[in-house]
Amino acid sequence: MGLVNFMRQWRSGAKEALERTAIVAKFLCLLHVTNTYLCSPTLVYGPSMLPTLNLTGDVLLAEHLSPRLGKVGSGDVVLVRSPVDPRKMLTKRVVGMEGDRVTFFVDPLHTDRCQSAVVPKGHVWIQGDNMYASSDSRHFGPVPYGLIQGKVFLRVWPPYGFGLLEQ
Amino acid sequence: MGLRKLWQYRSIVKEAWDQTMAVATLLCGLHVTNTYLCTLGLAYGPSMLPTFNLTGDLFLADRLSTMFGKVGRGDVVLVRSPENPRKLLAKRLLGMQGDSVTYVVDPKNSDRSETVVVPKGHVWIEGDNIYASRDSRQYGPVPYGLVEGKIFWKIWPPKEFGSLGQSRMKDPDL
Repeated sequence: MGLVNFMRQWRSGAKEALERTAIVAKFLCLLHVTNTYLCSPTLVYGPSMLPTLNLTGDVLLAEHLSPRLGKVGSGDVVLVRSPVDPRKMLTKRVVGMEGDRVTFFVDPLHTDRCQSAVVPKGHVWIQGDNMYASSDSRHFGPVPYGLIQGKVFLRVWPPYGFGLLEQ
Repeated sequence: MGLRKLWQYRSIVKEAWDQTMAVATLLCGLHVTNTYLCTLGLAYGPSMLPTFNLTGDLFLADRLSTMFGKVGRGDVVLVRSPENPRKLLAKRLLGMQGDSVTYVVDPKNSDRSETVVVPKGHVWIEGDNIYASRDSRQYGPVPYGLVEGKIFWKIWPPKEFGSLGQSRMKDPDL
């Protein structure tokens, strides 16, 4: 008698726990879907995009629709998976699209030498705004378009930098 | 009178909503499985003969291996084309980062082979049919970030159902 009651209570308790977990899981799913396909916040840090982005860290909003629709162009700041380390994400500016001829300073710290390259089909040329401290296409070459994960459109933190990024 | 009609509509709307949510949940589940677990694909073209037929084979590719870095030499992988980001390719992975890869540059016209070291973060992919395949021999090593899945099972045609063969045999006389 006591056992049956216990089982009944346990079952209703488990059912309620399952329902609550399902609600949390659905919320997390929705958050994940929004993050992956619509818009996601990212923390970026490092000197390679000075003065556009700060050294110590900015929170940016990046949208993920533009790369899929092919709407990424020159001058956009993009999130791109590093071709050198696939676990790292870089934030750089697209300087040239496929077919463009890009002229760049090879090593501005030491020399004034310029070099020119044509961006091959299906690739983009990315550079950090701070060319003195940026590891980008000048070092690892043009990057396949398929590695672009998102386009940055808004800075959210720090508060004094809130707003669209400069072109 | 109008209120009763409204009430009838309410139950129809609720039922329509429930069924739509059920379909949406199913599609969501399918999409999640497709993107993070295992995906179905159709491979066609001559570049992976004899592993894949010319006219099209259905295969299953798993996404977890690439996420956890468990792809290696000899695996057939699903990779996004570096020349056209809207295309997916099925090629065999022949070299990981740091490997020294020796390949025949243009087998139809000459026997010349070249050796290249695969840079960090990249992989070397080649089609099994080197006479009719556009791969790393033409566009160089491909960043690992473009590898999207590891093909592990063929499901069509039925007589070829099963796992794919391992690394192709390299001709020792070459």
